[in-house]
Amino acid sequence: MERHIEESLTRFNTDLLKMAALTELAIHRSVEALKNQDKKIALSVIEDDQIIDEYENKLEEESLLLFALHQPMAVDLRLIMSGMRISTDLERIADLTVNISQRVLDIADKPTLKPFEDISKLSVNAKKMLKGSIDSFVKRDPELAKEVILSDKESNMLRNKIVTELIEEHIKKDPRVVNQAIALLLVARDLERICDHATNIAEDVIYLIKAKIIKHHLDELL
Amino acid sequence: MLTKQIAELKTKIIESATLVEAMIEKSIKGLSEKNTDIFFEVIKKDEPKINHYDREIDEACTTFIAQYEPVARDLRMVLMILKMNNDLERMGDHAVNISESGLFLVTRPVLKPSANIVVMGQTAISMLKDSIQAFVHEDAQLARAVCDRDNIVDNLGDNILDEVTSFLREEHDGVKRSLHVMRIAHNIERIGDLSTNICEEVIYIVEGKDIKHHIDEED
Repeated sequence: MERHIEESLTRFNTDLLKMAALTELAIHRSVEALKNQDKKIALSVIEDDQIIDEYENKLEEESLLLFALHQPMAVDLRLIMSGMRISTDLERIADLTVNISQRVLDIADKPTLKPFEDISKLSVNAKKMLKGSIDSFVKRDPELAKEVILSDKESNMLRNKIVTELIEEHIKKDPRVVNQAIALLLVARDLERICDHATNIAEDVIYLIKAKIIKHHLDELL
Repeated sequence: MLTKQIAELKTKIIESATLVEAMIEKSIKGLSEKNTDIFFEVIKKDEPKINHYDREIDEACTTFIAQYEPVARDLRMVLMILKMNNDLERMGDHAVNISESGLFLVTRPVLKPSANIVVMGQTAISMLKDSIQAFVHEDAQLARAVCDRDNIVDNLGDNILDEVTSFLREEHDGVKRSLHVMRIAHNIERIGDLSTNICEEVIYIVEGKDIKHHIDEED
């Protein structure tokens, strides 16, 4: 049985990476849908969410089997537990891309509002953070993980800027665009939440490498 | 054989759940009673405690798995406790978010769309309470009933969003307050979702197919 554990671990890793790639694509497509007011893309993001959900279940079953069959030693144990937590974050990110796509459907027939450029920037940040967190997992690179954690601040700032602009330039000035403005406000919130989940993943990677829980001790680390 | 160790982990997670439940109750009570002291209590006193529980339970579960190499139901139970721990820590964060927005709201004139927030909050609290009960008694039936209630919270959230939207079309004074009302509604919605997560786990523990079958098949 021992010699199969490498195989099972590789499969677990591969599935996790596939799930991450699908999630990254979902972020990209939901923002494309928003940019082009494209209902078709939005609908396909909503539909494909099921595939990502299935990956989460699959990873959970694989990890249970790994535990049950191989009695993994401490290091693999941490890897599997981090992997499970990462899959939960990926699943939540995918849900957030579904939210964004729902907003696209809500406002697709209405004229676009200006702060879209910043939303685009925020989405680039979100994708970069997710990619960075997953790369840091693959390469077991704590420096890269720290970078992700630090760039969360920038995302928060961008989000605040978007919210202020939506309030001052749109909601307060033109009651006719309140619906679109609120939809964009929620999109900004969802993107910022995606950045938070990428931060969670980066924290898990550091936990995996240093076997130390840093969630609530960030100051010590940075 | 591992009954005693599992019971200890269960006790810890129930303690943590009870604290989170109290945090959420306080944050909603702060809103209905306009009491800023309660909000500060949640943010300054309770949050650090819940973070402590989070770390403690995480480590206890990891050590337990490494030390005892549990299988089948024991393993599932520990993994469920780990997940529940994660969910509870996030709910604690939501209580803090609600309290922060509460601090902004209660020192300013009442906004019309905020009336339903308290009702929504109480619905989410009752879901969390029942989800903890379902976990304690391993009651799949109760867990299912909680899952069915999630759409009530979601609908209340949608109503609040609609109210805020139409309010903003006419009033421009309350924009910031409106956004805080939206933020609170969103956080309550997430508490409902996370309670549902816990119940789904309970159903899995009680009714899930035994991992042992997989082992037999693969052997």
